[in-house]
Amino acid sequence: MKFLPLVWAALTRKPARAVLTLLAVTMAFTVFGLMIGLSATIDGVAEQARGDRMFSVPRFSYDDGLPIAVARRIADTPGVKLIAFQSYIPGYVQNEKNHIYLSMGHADMARVFPDWHATPTMWDLVEHERTGIIMSRLQAERWHKKVGDTLTVISPQLKRADGATSWTFKVLAICDDVLLAPDGFIFGNYDYLDKSLPLAKQGRVNEVDYVAADPARADAIAQVIDRAFANSASPTQTITEKRAYAVSNNFGGMDVDVLTHEIALAGLAMILFLTANVIAQSVRERFAEFGTLRALGFGDPSVIAMVVLEAAIPCLAGAGLGMALAAFLAHHIQAIMPPGFGLPRPTITAAVYGGALGSAFLLAFASAALPTVRLMRMDIATALSERE
Amino acid sequence: MNTIRQIWIVTALNFRSLPQRLWQSLVIVVGMACVIGVLLSMLSMTEGLHSAYLNTGDPRAIFVISAGAQWEAQGSLSRDMARVIMDTPGIAKAADGSAIAEPGVEVGVPTELAKNGAMAWIVLRGMGPKGRMLLPGFHLVEGRMFRPGSHELIAGIRAKDRFTDAGVGDKVILPDGAWPIVGAYATGDLRDGELFGDTETLMLSIRHKTYNSVTLRLAQPGGLAAFRRALKSNPALNVDVMTLHDWNVKRSADFDRFCRIVVYGVGVLLAIGALFGCFNTMYSAVAARRREIATLRALGYGGFAVGVSVVLEAGALSLAGAAIGVAFAWSRYDGVIDGFGGDIFRMTVSPAMIGMALFWAVAVAILGGFLPAIRAARRPVIQALRAT
Repeated sequence: MKFLPLVWAALTRKPARAVLTLLAVTMAFTVFGLMIGLSATIDGVAEQARGDRMFSVPRFSYDDGLPIAVARRIADTPGVKLIAFQSYIPGYVQNEKNHIYLSMGHADMARVFPDWHATPTMWDLVEHERTGIIMSRLQAERWHKKVGDTLTVISPQLKRADGATSWTFKVLAICDDVLLAPDGFIFGNYDYLDKSLPLAKQGRVNEVDYVAADPARADAIAQVIDRAFANSASPTQTITEKRAYAVSNNFGGMDVDVLTHEIALAGLAMILFLTANVIAQSVRERFAEFGTLRALGFGDPSVIAMVVLEAAIPCLAGAGLGMALAAFLAHHIQAIMPPGFGLPRPTITAAVYGGALGSAFLLAFASAALPTVRLMRMDIATALSERE
Repeated sequence: MNTIRQIWIVTALNFRSLPQRLWQSLVIVVGMACVIGVLLSMLSMTEGLHSAYLNTGDPRAIFVISAGAQWEAQGSLSRDMARVIMDTPGIAKAADGSAIAEPGVEVGVPTELAKNGAMAWIVLRGMGPKGRMLLPGFHLVEGRMFRPGSHELIAGIRAKDRFTDAGVGDKVILPDGAWPIVGAYATGDLRDGELFGDTETLMLSIRHKTYNSVTLRLAQPGGLAAFRRALKSNPALNVDVMTLHDWNVKRSADFDRFCRIVVYGVGVLLAIGALFGCFNTMYSAVAARRREIATLRALGYGGFAVGVSVVLEAGALSLAGAAIGVAFAWSRYDGVIDGFGGDIFRMTVSPAMIGMALFWAVAVAILGGFLPAIRAARRPVIQALRAT
């Protein structure tokens, strides 16, 4: 690292240029981090989705739900082990624009969804205090709730037996979010919901969730169940979580991976041109200096190392700053998104950091390539006679 | 010498020396090309989808749905309620004196995307005797119309490219059996990716007792207020009344906001990167030409003219880059048919978007050229002439 003072001197010779380059690189890597992070989230969700967990919903009229008897029959299907069901309260908070969505289940949910952070203890609380809810952190932050607060939801679609449309809940627990629910979640007591509805609407569920004893047979079980109900009054649509959360299902079937990578690449291409120019310029300005170095006996490797290092410092620093900014933005992105529209939060995984590091190095090498070639071919005498 | 002439002369001089600063200048061109290319590519998608949502229906078309419903399937209007709505005065009359209005029912039929097998729902709508009157662009392009009362469907012209088994001759599985697709229609809007069947037959098949909505045409364009008052004052009804256009705005508001945040967020980050690049380039351009500029100033050219010429140079480079970006996005995406889930739309690079791109380019040039311009204009002449 004996060149470091020399490289540093080169960088600080034109501080404005160094800073501007650094900031431009930072922006490109912010976009890189967000885009590749988004892609990583979607891949992560697809990977985390379980092949043995599956769910059945009404095949044709989603909002009408299935009779609870369907859930019982699914439970009796060979190969199905754990089962739970949930109904939704779609509505809004205060203003019609503030969409909210509550999943009303019961304690079995904790067994079907052990990887979600709503623990059996939390479900027990909801079981005992029927108007209680468990909120994920994201939802709690969105509605500014802490344990003990109340949350009132207006649901014009779901009237109580007395015709009222307002539902008031008490926050009993707040738990961590899961990748599988990018918009967060709120769990409440199914029984409470069911008993509050008019008699004609009772006994129905929006979704039956269960686990197949043998993951390899999950798809076969899905077919058995859908066939069993095909000619009934409540045809079902059954799918495994793995299939439902496949990458291809994201964003209405758009190819998100291709999109995010293209955008990240465009940002890098833009920056490559800038850094390459800056290095070329810097080397051109110091041709005489390089001539002196060579005259003093600095060999090719040393000179190359110096140029690459000069390119690498802003690239690596910019990549670091950009990724930090991306991580910060990723963390706050949900706050500005419309409620109920879950953009998966970009996760800056180790692989994403690795990608950024690799890209930064590539950027540095590519930027340094041409100037280095020129230096290699340099005739010392000419270089020394050249004025700036 | 008047200022305009000065600016003209100095700017012309700038441009003549551009080839010497070719690679440096390309930083701005490439930077803007990337920014605008990415921005317009993303916008061609989101704005294409946006205009597809808003193009559905003509201005007199009115949509009535249960109060507070956020999407169509949430609506629930009994036969009696639909009758009351359709008997309300103010609706346009057909030749036989009956109101041009009909209750609507919508159901999502599970299917797969043709391109990647992703799960998707194709929208199946009921169409009654007034359906064609309420869909102005509707015409059959293949096969024949479904026969009322029979288990037959017609498919939108784009449906077969988007979904598996959605072309003429294919069969759609509904609860009471397989319904053949006997014809294909075109409307020129979002409906081109959907299916239509006879309303009452469809209701029986999917066991719906209530409609989702009522669509109608008003006799007078300004009749909405009175019509809404009439429905709102009826205690038997609890409905929202709006133009079909407003309903589509409401339905897609969250999605639009989501798209705008993502697209403009990425666009702004990249543009800031390009801005720093522009700063850099213009600063070095000014530095490289400092003696030339000082000579001009010594000859009596004003600082203002010199400053303006710097901004103009940045502007020209930036606009050239933007033009490349526009050309890329336009040639690659304009007019391409794509889909978002079940919604099919035409990607567009509209004149308004091109105008915005050019505006961004000018803004970046002005911001990025301003400080270098000031430096160029204010550098003391003597000092610059003496500098080596």
